[in-house]
Amino acid sequence: MPVLPKKKVGLISCSGEEFPEGTLARMATLRVLEHVRPNETVTLCLPLFLAGNDKERAFGRFYPTIAIDGCDKRCAARATEKYSAPPTDSIVIPEFLATHGLNAPHSCRRLDADGERAADALAQEIAARVDRILGLTHEESPDAVATEGQDSIVASCSCGSGIPVMRLKIAGKLTEVVGLPVLMEQWRDGNKPTDELFDAVKIYNAVPREMEEAYRTAVLNAYADYLK
Amino acid sequence: MSDDQRVMILPCSGIGKAYGSVGREAMYRVLEDLRPNETQTVCLSLLTLGDEQAMARVRNARVITIDGCPFKCAQVNVEHAGGRNAAVFRVFDVYRAHKELKVHSVSELGENGERMAQILAEEIAAKVDELLQTPEASTPASVVVNEIETCAEAPLVEES
Repeated sequence: MPVLPKKKVGLISCSGEEFPEGTLARMATLRVLEHVRPNETVTLCLPLFLAGNDKERAFGRFYPTIAIDGCDKRCAARATEKYSAPPTDSIVIPEFLATHGLNAPHSCRRLDADGERAADALAQEIAARVDRILGLTHEESPDAVATEGQDSIVASCSCGSGIPVMRLKIAGKLTEVVGLPVLMEQWRDGNKPTDELFDAVKIYNAVPREMEEAYRTAVLNAYADYLK
Repeated sequence: MSDDQRVMILPCSGIGKAYGSVGREAMYRVLEDLRPNETQTVCLSLLTLGDEQAMARVRNARVITIDGCPFKCAQVNVEHAGGRNAAVFRVFDVYRAHKELKVHSVSELGENGERMAQILAEEIAAKVDELLQTPEASTPASVVVNEIETCAEAPLVEES
């Protein structure tokens, strides 16, 4: 039976090729993905929001996201909002460094000693925000203890593993419903009660209260069509 | 050399792809070691966001893109910005020619990944030279052959 991916926190880093802070954003994000919170985080290559398709653009609607930006142009935060959904949280590195009294790295290509210190501190900050979003204390976070002494996980992009979406006309407007194709398949194969399908849809989609009835009708009509 | 004359090298920098890291490293090798006076780069994220200044820079330059996966983010983002890809490189093609080279991971290329980046950087540097010797108007876009369609077809990285 198909299953929806586990709810994790999506980390979206700017690529920042022109600035050392861009490399810092990338390396700190990778540390979280591979070492600090590997089981609680996922990522998506930022330029895929433009180069990818609906499944990539659903990323920020399915996962709560943290945008990590190397400069105040905030490409990661703004592009995530533009193509997918507003990020749940965001970090702008110059502000982070100033707040913590840290120096920026001096090279775009490699992290120097200042960059290593900043990357470690930034990775811990991202991890703390991941825990906050998931409602975990540090001790409760499986990765806080499990990764110690273990082989690390290799970070990989969530492209292609994409979040399935279906477009429905809701109150006259074409609207993407995240996860609906997989949910309908699960409901049909598991012979689950139809009236519970919409409750599952609401887990993966922010349904405005005033739109709830319109959403419910559209989802149930789509499911009825699916079963035909 | 003015910025407009410098060849722009744009890697995808794919954070979730080891080949994205190879492309990024190859770009820095060209920019810092091999052709520091003839090349430039711009943050790809700015193109994704639609930053006007970055898009104008791309439109005014001859651009070489480096992509780490079949989504071709660098190439597509340049085209979307109205730029011309004077040449298109794919890290996978380096692997195809050097199958003994398997990258360690996204964050740590390892010895083989570093070698792969150097090979790619040297190919790009040669392309930069070729472009700078060619009148701009007659520069043809490179043709990519043997397109792979999905990430699943890309080879696995080195076992860790």
